[in-house]
Amino acid sequence: MLKLDNLTRRFGDTAAVDRVNLEIAEGQMVGIIGRSGAGKSTLLRLLNRLTDPSEGQILFGNRDIAQLKGRDLRQWRSDCAMIFQQFNLVGRLDVLTNVLTGRLFDLPAWRALAQIYTPAERAFAVQALDRLTMAHTALQRAETLSGGQQQRVAIARALAQEPKILLADEPIASLDPLNAKIVMDALRTINQQDGITVICNLHTLDTARDYCDRIIGMQAGRVVFDGTPAQLTQGMAREIYGAEADQAFNEAATSTSLASGPRARAKEAV
Amino acid sequence: MSDQTADSSVALFERHRAELKASKRTMNLIMLAAFLVCLALSVWISQFYPERLASGIPRIFEYFGTIIPDLRWDTLLDGRTEEGRAVPGSITYWYTDFWVYLELIWETILMAITATLLGTAVAFLLSFPAAANLAPNSWIYWVSRRFLEICRGIPEILLALVFVFMIGIGPLAGVIAIAIHSAGALGKLFAEVNENASSRPVEGITAVGGTWVQKMLYGVVPQVTPNFVSYALLRFEVNVRASSIIGFVGAGGIGQELNRVISFYSDDRVLAVLILVVLTVTIIDLLSERLRLGYIGRENFA
Amino acid sequence: MTLATVTAVSDAEIAAIRAQHPGVFDTPGKIVRRWAPWAVAVLYVFWSLWYFDIARFFETSDRVLSLLRAFVVWEDMANWQYANIYRGIAETLAMAFLGTLLGTIGALFVGFMAARNIVTFAPLRQVVRRFLDILRGIDQLVWGLVFVRAVGLGPLAGVLAIFVSDVGTLSKLYSEAIENIDRKQVEGVKSTGAGPLQVIRYGYIPQVLPVFISQSLYFLESNTRSATILGIVGAGGIGMIIIERFRASLYDQVAFVVLNVLILIFAIDWLSKRVRGWAIGAQER
Repeated sequence: MLKLDNLTRRFGDTAAVDRVNLEIAEGQMVGIIGRSGAGKSTLLRLLNRLTDPSEGQILFGNRDIAQLKGRDLRQWRSDCAMIFQQFNLVGRLDVLTNVLTGRLFDLPAWRALAQIYTPAERAFAVQALDRLTMAHTALQRAETLSGGQQQRVAIARALAQEPKILLADEPIASLDPLNAKIVMDALRTINQQDGITVICNLHTLDTARDYCDRIIGMQAGRVVFDGTPAQLTQGMAREIYGAEADQAFNEAATSTSLASGPRARAKEAV
Repeated sequence: MSDQTADSSVALFERHRAELKASKRTMNLIMLAAFLVCLALSVWISQFYPERLASGIPRIFEYFGTIIPDLRWDTLLDGRTEEGRAVPGSITYWYTDFWVYLELIWETILMAITATLLGTAVAFLLSFPAAANLAPNSWIYWVSRRFLEICRGIPEILLALVFVFMIGIGPLAGVIAIAIHSAGALGKLFAEVNENASSRPVEGITAVGGTWVQKMLYGVVPQVTPNFVSYALLRFEVNVRASSIIGFVGAGGIGQELNRVISFYSDDRVLAVLILVVLTVTIIDLLSERLRLGYIGRENFA
Repeated sequence: MTLATVTAVSDAEIAAIRAQHPGVFDTPGKIVRRWAPWAVAVLYVFWSLWYFDIARFFETSDRVLSLLRAFVVWEDMANWQYANIYRGIAETLAMAFLGTLLGTIGALFVGFMAARNIVTFAPLRQVVRRFLDILRGIDQLVWGLVFVRAVGLGPLAGVLAIFVSDVGTLSKLYSEAIENIDRKQVEGVKSTGAGPLQVIRYGYIPQVLPVFISQSLYFLESNTRSATILGIVGAGGIGMIIIERFRASLYDQVAFVVLNVLILIFAIDWLSKRVRGWAIGAQER
C-alpha cells in the first residue's frame, strides 16, 4: 500500500504538486489524467524520487520514502520501476545490456563496473524481452529500434528490476496508435498477471477509461477527481481538461478506435 | 518649398556623413596611434633594430649553408667500404648515426603513446566531475575544473624542466610532463563533450537505482566514447610533436639529440635529424588521421 | 507467462534460452575480445614505465626537497632583480607582437601565392605549398634553437622563430580564405578594367580582411603563450630568465617567475576570451 500524505513540490513560487493525499492499494492499475502542466509528471517523479518533495510524506508500508537517502533510496528506485515518454534507453548500448541495467542495484559494484553478468541474469533479461516479443532484437543497438520497440525494451528493463510498483510517465505520448495499444496492453497484462501496481500518466481520456481500475484527475497540482472510470462523467472530464478538452477527446477518439474493447482483449493478449 | 526640403535633407545627410566620417577618422587615428606605440615599444624592448637585423640576416643564410650535406652524385649510394668506413659524399656518410636516430625516434613515439594513454586516463576520470551537468556537487566540480586548468596552463616544456631537475635527465620526465599537460587539455574537451551528452539515458539509469558511477558508466560513457577516442587520437598527434622537442631540456627522445647537434655542431647532422623529425611527425599525422576517420566511419555506420 | 525472480531461473530455462539465442551469452572468445585491448593497454603502460625507469620518480633526493622547499620559502626577496624579471615579461610580449606582425605581413604575400585562384601556374603554387609544409613541420622551438645558433642569444632569435612558424601556418589559413571568396565581386572589379594589383586591392582584400585580422589576433594570443617558453632555448623573453635562474640554483626566484608566467598566461587567456566575445558581439550588432 502506497500512501501519499500532504505531498507538495514547489518550483519557486508555484506548487507543481500541491498537498496531494492518496492511498493506492497493491495491485491497482491507476491512471492519472489532466492537462499538460497539471503536475502529473512531477507527481510520478516524486514517487520515484527523481524529484525531491518540498513537503509531505510518501509512505510505503511504514517507511517514509520521502526521507530515504543513499543506498536505501537506490533500493526504493529499483523497487519502483519507471517508464518514460522518451524511453530513456542508452541508445548506443545493445538492447540486452539496456535490459540488464535493470539489475544494477543487486549487482556487486565490481561486476557492474566490468559489465559482467551471470548466465541466469542474461536468461532472465531474455525472458523479460520475450514477454514483450522483443527477444529477437537482443543484440541490436537500442537506437536502431522504432519508438514502440524502444518503449517495449524500456518495459522489459523495468521488469528486470523485479519491481513492486511500475510508474509510467506518458508511456504512449510519443507513439503511433498501434504501438500505443501494444504498450498499454503490455502494462495491463503485467498489472494483472504479476500483481504489480501500475501508476500511469495519460494524456488521453479514453485510454485511461479503457485500461485503468481507478482514475485520478489533476488540475494545477491538486487532485480534483478520484474514482472508477464509471464515476468519471463527461462534465467532470471537461472540468479537468479545461481548455484542452476538445483536443483530449479528439486524440482519444483516434487512439481508441484501434483499442476497441481492450479490457476483454488484454486478458488474452501477450 | 520642395526644393527647400530637398536642400535641407541633403544638407542633413551631408552633415551626418561628415560627423560619421569624422568619428570614424578619429577612431582610426586612435587605433593607428595605439598600434604605432605598441610597435615602437616592441622594437625598443626587443632591440629589433635595422642594423642588428642587417648583421643577423646574412648569418642566417650562412648558417643554413653549413647544415646542407655535401652529397656527390658519383658516391651518393655507396655503402660502407670493407673496413667499415663510409665514403664522403654518400648518404651513408651523411647518416652515419642513422640507427641511433631511429632508436631515439622509437623512444619519442613510445613517450607520446605512454603520455597520451596516461593523460587520457586521468582526463577521462576527471571529465565527469568537471562537467557542470554531471558533477555530484559544486565543490567537486570547482576543484576538478581548477585542477584541469592548472594542468593545461603550465607549458609542458616548463614542467619537463622541473621534472628533469627532480628525477634526472631521461624520457621519464618528458612522459610525465606531457601526460600532465594532456590530462588538462583533454579533460577540458572531454568535460565539454559530457556536458553535451543527452540526460535521458542518465535519468533512465537513475530510475533503476544506479549509483553515480553507474550513471556515468552506463548512461554517459556509451554516448561520448566516439568523441573521446577521436580527441585522444588528435592529442596523440600533438604529443608526438611535443615529445620530439621536449628533449631540449633533457627530457628524452629525439629532441635531446636535435638539441645536441644544433648546439654543438653546425654541420649536416642538423639537417639529417631535422628531416627525420619532420618525416616522423608527418607519417604519424597521416596514420592517426586514417585511424580516426576509419573509426568514426565505423561508429557512424554500425 | 509471468516473470519469476532472477534467482528462480532454472538451469533448464537457461539451456533452452541458450539454444534459442546463443549470441546473448558470453563465450571464451567474446571475453578475450572484450578484455584484450584493455589488457594490452595496461601491460603496455606498465612495460613502458618500467622502460622509462619509473623507479626514479620515487627516489626523493635532497635536490627535490630543496626545490619543493624553494617553491614555498622565498628568501632574500629584497635583492631579487625585479626589473630584470619584468623586463623579461615585457620582452616576451614584444616578441609575440613583432613576430605576429611580421608573420602577418609575410603571410599576406605568401598566402596569395599559395591560393589556387590567384596563382594559376600550378608548379609555382606547389613549390610554395611544400615550402610552407616544411615551415609548419618544424616546431617553433626548433626554429628558436636554429636562430639562436644563427643570430645569437636574445629576442631577435625569438622574433624570427615566431615569424617563420607563423608564415607557415598563417599563409595556409590565408590562402584557404582567399580560395573561398565570392567570385562575382572580383569579376565586378575586373570588368571595370582594373589591373591585377587593383583587382587584388578592390576585389579580394575587402572580402578576406576580416578573416585575416581575426586569424592574426588569434595567433597573437597563442604566440604570447609560446613566447614564454622560447627563452628556454635562449631565444629571449621570460623563458630565458627562468633558465638562467635555474642554472644558478635560485629556485625560489624560479618559482616566483613561473608563478608570474602562469598569471600572464591566464591573463592572456582571459583577455583574449573577452576581446573575442566583444568582437563577435560587435559583428552581430
